[in-house]
Amino acid sequence: MSVDTAPGGPAPGPAPAKLAQLSMRRILPPVVTGQEIVLLAVIVVLWVLLGVFTPAFLTPGSIGPLLVQVAPIALVGVGMTFVIITAGIDVSVAAMIMVSAVVTARMMVSLDIPAPLAVLVAIAIGLALGALNGLLIAYGRVHPIIITFGTANVFQWLGLRVFDSSTVNGIPGTLDFLGRGSGGSTLGVPHSFAIAVVAVAAAWWFLRYAKAGRSLYAIGGNANAARLAGIKVQPRLVWVYAITGALAGLAACIMIATGTSSLDQSVGSGKELQVIAAVVIGGTSILGGRGSVVGTLLGAILVQTVVSGVTQLGWPTQLGFLFVGIFIVIAVGTDLIRERARRRA
Amino acid sequence: MTAVKPGVRHQTDASVGPMDRVRDWFANGGLKDRAVLLLTLIILLVVVLSILDAAGQTSGEFNSDYLASTLIAYVPLALLAIAELFVITSGRGGIDLSVGSMVSLSGIVFAMLFQQAGLPMVVSIVLAVVFGALLGAVNGFLSAYLGFPPLIATLATFYGYRSIALVVSEQRPISGPEISEFYNAAKAIELPLIGQSLPLVPLGVFTFLLPVAVVAWFVLNRTAYGRSLYAIGTNDTAAQWAGIDTRRTRMGAFVAAGAISGLVGVYTVAQFASARPDAGTSGSGMALPAITIAVLGGVAITGGIGKLSGVLLAALLIVWLNASILLVVPGNDGAQAQLLALGLVLLGAALFGQLSLRRRRLTPVPPVTGAVPAVRSQ
Repeated sequence: MSVDTAPGGPAPGPAPAKLAQLSMRRILPPVVTGQEIVLLAVIVVLWVLLGVFTPAFLTPGSIGPLLVQVAPIALVGVGMTFVIITAGIDVSVAAMIMVSAVVTARMMVSLDIPAPLAVLVAIAIGLALGALNGLLIAYGRVHPIIITFGTANVFQWLGLRVFDSSTVNGIPGTLDFLGRGSGGSTLGVPHSFAIAVVAVAAAWWFLRYAKAGRSLYAIGGNANAARLAGIKVQPRLVWVYAITGALAGLAACIMIATGTSSLDQSVGSGKELQVIAAVVIGGTSILGGRGSVVGTLLGAILVQTVVSGVTQLGWPTQLGFLFVGIFIVIAVGTDLIRERARRRA
Repeated sequence: MTAVKPGVRHQTDASVGPMDRVRDWFANGGLKDRAVLLLTLIILLVVVLSILDAAGQTSGEFNSDYLASTLIAYVPLALLAIAELFVITSGRGGIDLSVGSMVSLSGIVFAMLFQQAGLPMVVSIVLAVVFGALLGAVNGFLSAYLGFPPLIATLATFYGYRSIALVVSEQRPISGPEISEFYNAAKAIELPLIGQSLPLVPLGVFTFLLPVAVVAWFVLNRTAYGRSLYAIGTNDTAAQWAGIDTRRTRMGAFVAAGAISGLVGVYTVAQFASARPDAGTSGSGMALPAITIAVLGGVAITGGIGKLSGVLLAALLIVWLNASILLVVPGNDGAQAQLLALGLVLLGAALFGQLSLRRRRLTPVPPVTGAVPAVRSQ
């Protein structure tokens, strides 16, 4: 589809190594940007305050489950960060989580498949659904929000068909190594959270040092310019959405593991907005071309801390989401102010 | 209704046969006119269902009474789609995810004023609409004046308003004798004079939807504000250089969306005979269907393009499609099939629109000899 008028990859040119190094430093963001330091500080302050007011908060028995709940948001958040960096959006992740979860749970019940196979099945389903999103978005040339609204409805129908108007009961404990129980953590670190951190680290390296990763920023900054610079925009987009789907599949495994032995139809519901909230609180620009996965991880921790903290303080659970809204406004607002200052400088 | 300016070509060239004209009309994107396409689909739907009904394949009777009774669900859907029409048309990523939350919160406020504070009905309705407009103004202030991307601003207020509605009402619906009586405002009535020969139409269509639709049509098509709205949606910078206060215009779109949401809040109280704190946010919420219908009605997500007729017809198509599905596929399966239908219709309309747009751009239709190329109207 793309017109190959430009040679693949950036022109190497005879530029001296020193200049190349200099330009690299100019393009690459620092390891931890301002937004992330602020986020880290906010999380520390919140944890200390919560620890003071509810002594039960800063204990392994409370932090562990909190991190397990962060894991699916952070995992899907990695994919969503990729998507938003390319100036796209994916509102179908909740539906993808639901389809992956129900198919995997049904297979675990009826076929008693081993854990590695269950994880593979969930990831494969997510990958397939995400690839469908990607193909429609890249080659249909319709705005991603419309395509994913549409596919979200179709995926939901698919999931509900598999549910067959009831819940999936008697799920075996095959995936308990991802859950909240004692089998779910080693030395106090929940496995699911460790997986999320590994995914974030890999994505961080990919976005910072891999050519394909850098090209995502180029696509989000200006898709036409990226195409003329020789980036195959459409295949890249298909992969970005497919990976988001695959991570939603992985998140579905954690959702199965953290739930009870039965799975109901509301699994994943509302996750798409929580994930988007985590990504934008983490400093990724919804306009594309700028963003970091480390920020997304911190954003996910912040969102979950606020939601859990409100419950532990004995306040109405629903009040937590008011704070999530306020944090979105503050995080994006400070980013807008800094952006304005940067432009003026 | 047709896309081609009437008369331009056919008067100059009398030798063109009727088939040529039809082909011409198609080639110039006749079906691209969203209103014509939607009207065709609605007629097709009614014809197919009538045939199925005659063949005894439906679980209930498919007739004008049934179609009219489903309009009770049409009112809130069409109203919120009009709200999205304003916001999305304003461009620069305009979208409002918070309409469902504003519906919930305004409904609660209305019930508190009307039931608990004992204010007169009209005063309560007006205050609820004003309250909705204030909620919309917060969205508008964040988006238009502070420069938040609307998706983010309304995501934040979606969480905020929903949370406030649930906390203020302590997660319990508000009901009482006054509100039960208010239920009459949404029920079906027989029209005076001509009512005998027409099916019963829900009163809400006339008391809620019709006034808003008329005002919205007038504002969009006959006022300077409407022109400014399309202008900023088409090209924000150009509009600014043309002397339009783009920020105030964009603010106006969000305020309008908030006010309409407030009115829908009042309507849902009448519809359910109680004010539910999750009226607009339960399940997947009201915002996503409203955006879907606006897009289906031909509102360009990039702004600047969108017509009231398309939005009203799209809402009608979806409501009747959902109602028809329930007749053919009864029970839970039918409710699920509605999801599939909504998704496929949206994807189909979006991809079809893009496809025909691209084909027109790549291979312009050669004008018939001696004819003036038809000018596309927006």
